[in-house]
Order: sequence, then C-alpha cells, then structure tokens
Amino acid sequence: MRLILAEDSTLLREGLLRLLAEEGHDVVAAVGDGEALLAAAEVHRPDVVVTDVRMPPTHTDEGVRAAVRIRENWPEIGVLVLSQYVEKRYAAKLIGGDGGRVGYLLKDRVAQVGEFLDALERVAEGGAAFDPEVVRRLVARTSHEDALGKLSPRERGVLEKMAQGHTNAGIAELLYISQSAVEKHVNAIFDKLDLPQAAGYSRRVLAVLRYLGS
Amino acid sequence: MITYAARTAAGVGLGALTTLAELPYVLLGTPLLAVPTPRRAVLRGARVLAEVERARLQRFLDAPNGDDYDGRRALQYLALRALVGLLALGVWACVGAGVLVAVFYARQLVTGRAPGGQGAGTVAGWLLITLLAAIAAYLCAQGIAGVATLDRRLARRFLGPSHRDLLVRRVSHLATSRAQVVEAVNEERRRIERDLHDGVQQRLVALGLLLGRARRTDDPDLVRQAHEQSQEALRELRDVAWRVYPIALDESGLDAALESLAERAALPVELRYEPAEPLPPALATVVYFVASESVTNATKHAGATRVTIEVRRADNGRNVVVEIADDGHGGARIGGTGGFAGLVRRVAAADGEFTVNSPDGGPTVVRAVLPCD
Repeated sequence: MRLILAEDSTLLREGLLRLLAEEGHDVVAAVGDGEALLAAAEVHRPDVVVTDVRMPPTHTDEGVRAAVRIRENWPEIGVLVLSQYVEKRYAAKLIGGDGGRVGYLLKDRVAQVGEFLDALERVAEGGAAFDPEVVRRLVARTSHEDALGKLSPRERGVLEKMAQGHTNAGIAELLYISQSAVEKHVNAIFDKLDLPQAAGYSRRVLAVLRYLGS
Repeated sequence: MITYAARTAAGVGLGALTTLAELPYVLLGTPLLAVPTPRRAVLRGARVLAEVERARLQRFLDAPNGDDYDGRRALQYLALRALVGLLALGVWACVGAGVLVAVFYARQLVTGRAPGGQGAGTVAGWLLITLLAAIAAYLCAQGIAGVATLDRRLARRFLGPSHRDLLVRRVSHLATSRAQVVEAVNEERRRIERDLHDGVQQRLVALGLLLGRARRTDDPDLVRQAHEQSQEALRELRDVAWRVYPIALDESGLDAALESLAERAALPVELRYEPAEPLPPALATVVYFVASESVTNATKHAGATRVTIEVRRADNGRNVVVEIADDGHGGARIGGTGGFAGLVRRVAAADGEFTVNSPDGGPTVVRAVLPCD
C-alpha cells in the first residue's frame, strides 16, 4: 500500500521506513512535523498515514491535530496514530468521525512488528485498530458500571478483542473458539449493552469504544 | 579623613546656597497649587529641585537615595529642606565670622599687639584666645556635621525608600522568586519528561523495531545493529539520569561534579575552581546548574570551540562567583524560554545576580554572583 510516515525522531523514522519497505509497502513521503504531513497528504493522497503525536514545534499534539484534519479533508485516507501515552482525549477526537480507517496505537507497539503491521492492514482496509492497552484502560475504567458487569469473562474477552478492531474471524483465531461462537458472544454483548447491531465491524468497534469511553 | 571633612563642608555650603532658591520657590509655589493650571508645572519644578538636592547629597554627603517619588512629595521635602538650608546658612555664617575674627587676631599677633587691645600681648592672653578659637572651631565643625546628618535623614525620609517600603519590596520579591522557583522546577520536569520520551524511549522503540525485523528476516546484521542500538539507549539513559541530578554533587562535592561535567562536554572545557571550603549544598547545586546549562548552550547554539568555567569567592568570601566564558559567536539572550530563563529563576531564588554578556560575534560570558552566608 502507499504510505506517508510522520515521525520527528530520525532514528525511528529510518527504522520504520526500512521495515515498511521490507514488507513491500511504498512509503511515498517521510516527514517530521504536522504541517509537512498535511502538505504531503494533499499531494500524494496515500492509502494510510502513520503519524507520531508529539512533533515540532510544540511537541504536544501536532500529530493528532493533523490526523483529525486529514480525516475531515480526505476521508478516504486511513490514519494510524502512534502515541507516547494512552490519551483518551486523542482517541476520542479520532473516533469522532463516522468511524473506520482509524487506528490509535501506543508507540511502543511498533516494536511488536507483527501487531503493528496487522493494525496497519486493518486501517487500510477501512477498519479500526486500537491498542490493547487503550482498550484495557477503557474497559478497566468502566468495569464497575452495571452494563459491563453483566458480561461474562468470556464475553469481556471478546469485547476487548472487538474493541481492538479485530473481525469475528480474527477473534475466533485469537481465542481459539469457532466463529459461530464468537458471533453468539457478540450478539450477547450487544444485547447486554443495549447497542443496536451495526453492519460494518469498524462501526461496531467505535460504538463499543464510544460507550466505554463515554 | 581630611577629604571627607572637606567634602561634607562643601556639601553643606552648597546646601546653604540652594536654599536661596528653594525658600522662595516653596513660598511662591505652594499657594499656586490651589490653581489648577500651573499646578503641574510647580510640581515638576519641585521635582527638578529635589533631583538637584539628591545629586548634591550623593556627590558630597555619600547619601544615595531612590528617585521613586512624585512632585507633591518633592515639594514637602523642599519645604523642610529649605529650613535645614537656613540652618546651614547660619552655620556657615558662624564659620565666616570665625574666619574674620581669626584674621583680625592674626594681625594683632603679627604686629605684637594685645588680642583686642592697644598694649603688648601677654602669653596667658594669647593662650586664652587660642583656647576659645579651638572651641569655636569645634562648634562650627559640629554644626556642619549636624546639618549634614539632618540633610541626610530628611532626604532618606522623603526621597529614599522607607523601612516599610523596603519590607514590602522584599516580601514581593520573595513571593515572585518563590513562584519562579516552582515554575523553574516544573520546567525542568518537563524537560526531563521530554528527554526520556524523545531520547530514551525512541531509542528503545527503534531497538525493538530492529529486533522485530531481525526475527522476521533472520538477518544477523540487524541483530548486530540492535546490539549497538541497545548500547546507545543505555548511554542515553545514563546521560538523562545525570542531567536530572549529578549524584557526584552529593558524593564528592561541587568541584568533582564540575570536573565530570568538563569531561563529559562535547568540547574542551577548562575548569578553574578556587574555593577551598566546600560550599553549602543548595548553593553548590545552583552553581552546578548554571555551569552545566551554560556549557550546553555554548555547545548547542554558540558554535564555540572552547569553554572556561571559573568558580571563585569574592567580596571577602561573602559571595561566590561562577563565570562561564566561551569563544562562540555570541548573541545569547536571557529572554524567552531556553535554559537561561530557568537559570535566572534559580539564581534569583538564591538572592543572586545573573548576567549574560553576549555581543553578536561573541565572546559570551555568563556570570552568576551568589551570596553565601
């Protein structure tokens, strides 16, 4: 796929470039700040942009702001944000659209090369990818609430995987259960959480996440 | 001693002359205050006259005062000051009279006549006259000294900061510097956080990335790179920890910490450390950070090729001076963010003075003077 990479640390930028090239992706531009990212996105219209959150000049949330702008201007471009921390505000900002084509990973996740590439694929295909850590935080934070308390441990596990953006097939594989079992759990979760069933799995992830993060 | 007495006498004499301007000014100007139009001009003029007095006191009577007063206060001062001036005039009149009498007696003595009479003078008579002259001279000197003291006190009372003002100033200074210390600490924490994230964490992520790639491709060269990367990450971590707090400060004192700073610097640093007695720990920390921040600035921004750090005691051991000079292209400014702003706060919190002298084209001299008692 065609990618733009925004990361101010040269060391990491080089490493990611190499990795993505080895995987056969085409990195059309590699930049070091939010402004340059927007400019490059406008010119190249890549499939996905991968961006760091903290970049010059202020080292606060340039990456997220650029990502939100890209989501607004060119919805067909997928966005994968790499953050130093779990920042709920940022995650919420990204989810704020119609959902899909977004990812929010902890930066350290890049070192789990397989997971990182997997997340990238999911975003490129129109799905979502949220860091397990983000999901865990959100789930943990709301676990005392009644609705979630109703879920069985198995359902909770499925919800977690779901929230990370995995498809039913993917969840089945990860939890070593059949796909129909997963579907059953998912329906049970929707029932218990009072959520109308949506068509696309990305939207269902976002619905769940929204609920958890509300 | 002689010059001091002469200056005091001259100062009081001048004061006697200025009163000739002040007295009419006060007498004519005060009623004019009731009229709105000339009021401002009167008050401005009062300030001018008061400034003349201030200059006279500073120049002749070693009594510097602040110029932090308004026209109204100046006029009040002049009213009282004119009276002191009259006193000065009186004292000088006595001095003048004394001089005339002395001249008269000297003539009597030279012509061999009695002091004040027509006959021949006796030794006893002259001794008595000498004694009286000495007493008169002493009284005149006391008069001059007294007027000078009055003059000083009056000016201090009206023009100088009052004791209460000084206290208020001190308290507000302390409040400001306290807030600044908190701000400086926060700023440092932010910097540490950035150091950890933009340095150490990035390196570790890059290391993980290398290892991840190595596992996917089985390329031994990637493993080698990863190994190097891990060494780099460790070095970075050590540096950050050292920047957070150089532990050598506590263990082996300021000079050792500064030596270590010089060794670690990217360019040659010459260290001249004089104080034989160890400095108090809080002070040593400030000196250390002034030095380390300045060396960092010289390395990063000044394009310097060498730096000297000098630490010495000054003013009979009352102060410690730390001076960092580099041969870079100068142009360093205290304003804004950057390392200097934090240093200003740190030094201010220790009641010290911080200056940066850095003309464009260099060289740069950063100097902090810190009281140590």
